[in-house]
Amino acid sequence: MANNPSKAAAIIAAGEADQIGYLETPKTDMMLGVEAIYNACREAGISTKDIEGIANPGGANAYAEYLGIVPKWVDTTAVGGCSFQIHLAHMLAGINAGMFDIGVIVNGQAGYSRRNFPRGGAGGGGGDPLGPDAQFVNPYGTTGAPSQYSHAMTRHMHEYGTTKEDFAEIAVNTRQWAMLNPRAVMHSKETNPNGGPITVDDVLNSRLISWPLNLLDVCLVTDHGGAVVVASAAAAKSFRKPPVWVAGAGEAIGHQTMLEMKDFTATSAVASSQRAYKMAGMGPEDMEMAMIYDSFTLTVGITIEMLGLTRRGEFPSLVKNGNTAPGGKFPMNTNGGGLSFNHSGMYGMQLLVESYRQLSGTAEDGIHGIAGKQTNANTCIVNGTGGTLSATGTVVLTRD
Amino acid sequence: MADYNKPIPIPDPMTNGPYWEGAKQGKFMLPRCTSCNKVHFYPRIICPNCGSRSLEWIEATGEGYLHTFAVQHRAMGAWAEEAPFVTAYIDLKEGDRVFTVLRGVDPTKPEEIFKKIGALCRVEWDEANDAVSMPYWRLVG
Repeated sequence: MANNPSKAAAIIAAGEADQIGYLETPKTDMMLGVEAIYNACREAGISTKDIEGIANPGGANAYAEYLGIVPKWVDTTAVGGCSFQIHLAHMLAGINAGMFDIGVIVNGQAGYSRRNFPRGGAGGGGGDPLGPDAQFVNPYGTTGAPSQYSHAMTRHMHEYGTTKEDFAEIAVNTRQWAMLNPRAVMHSKETNPNGGPITVDDVLNSRLISWPLNLLDVCLVTDHGGAVVVASAAAAKSFRKPPVWVAGAGEAIGHQTMLEMKDFTATSAVASSQRAYKMAGMGPEDMEMAMIYDSFTLTVGITIEMLGLTRRGEFPSLVKNGNTAPGGKFPMNTNGGGLSFNHSGMYGMQLLVESYRQLSGTAEDGIHGIAGKQTNANTCIVNGTGGTLSATGTVVLTRD
Repeated sequence: MADYNKPIPIPDPMTNGPYWEGAKQGKFMLPRCTSCNKVHFYPRIICPNCGSRSLEWIEATGEGYLHTFAVQHRAMGAWAEEAPFVTAYIDLKEGDRVFTVLRGVDPTKPEEIFKKIGALCRVEWDEANDAVSMPYWRLVG
């Protein structure tokens, strides 16, 4: 492509809020996000006042005011949990165009603390009462993402002969990564009564939420703050940590409501990943690990196929025999995932923090005592999915 | 109708008027594009298939085929009392797809419903209030 921005920018630091998980003392979205920005900037060796560009789903202006900065560049793209992958793509373009040199992508989200917040308005499902979901979907009793995503899992099982056991393997492998991460909610019995090792049978015997999804097919709802710092290639060389290059990025939107999802076994990740691969000059065969938004085991199964890591209907061949677990051939969701590490609502931020840590060699880096989960991957494909399997953002990250 | 205790949509008269008017008479109405002849759902003021704004309403057969389903074990409000219940997407005979609560199936036997994917379903109506009759679909094939 003309003026290919590949590697025009790199992630140079990542940070999280001071406390994450189930917070005893509730914090607001803004508090969690600002803590993460502060910690990320400290790791980068810069001041928050050095931030020139800021990205957050909907709230970039609030963050800029809170930090007392006047950014040169903002992105408030809010398309669900994949917003941050798309922010990174936009930052790459902005930096390549010379619009700014240092930017921050941030999300603070009190997924758990929110229950303590005062509520206003009439309550209920929210959204536009005259929109298609309010008119034709919500009256039938579905509640939240699991009650809709389950229909896609049923269809995948019908079209390809996949099974609940195949999807359960994903949850089992992901839990093993969480057991290497002391910050993971499900790390052990010490971190949570339901933490520690699980089996396929445990998944199948856990409480039914929306058949075919059981409780252990479904992500957590926790507190988290995360941020990454992105710099131009020239600026990245002067920072103390090894850069993680944004080699490729792509974004795509399939639909909003699942009423409009033509093929229940396919998402727009087939398009967003092809754009990312093309920009990077790489393909699925070049990827050495993956960070895939695991709102549900179903999301991972479909996304593996969309990213070309297997053919359609064949995701079980990638996840079986612990292939994506610690020590397996293809590390995936190495922080323990939204299933077992942390999922605050828009998990795409956690994907960027962990993929940066893996490729910069800081996955065991010390401030939180994390040990044992560093892989030797040189490339990582990161895919966020937002809405109800609606929008996707894919980035290809590499290291020198 | 007094005993309909589930959420009732507020009909959108701007886009969906003929749909909800037809529902009151037990007619399943669909918008059809007079340029490309395709129906679409949910109703719009522009054809999502070809971009034409030349649309008409037709009375559909009220028949379709089970595309996929889920069994809801968790729900809010009045639906919580119904759980477990089956939700489904139905491929309409005329084209495109609707969402519904599926009747004529046993929510405790999802494996049996699974075998019925592709089977014939037919619409039926619950009078919810003076303005709204709610479509429900029943597995008949």
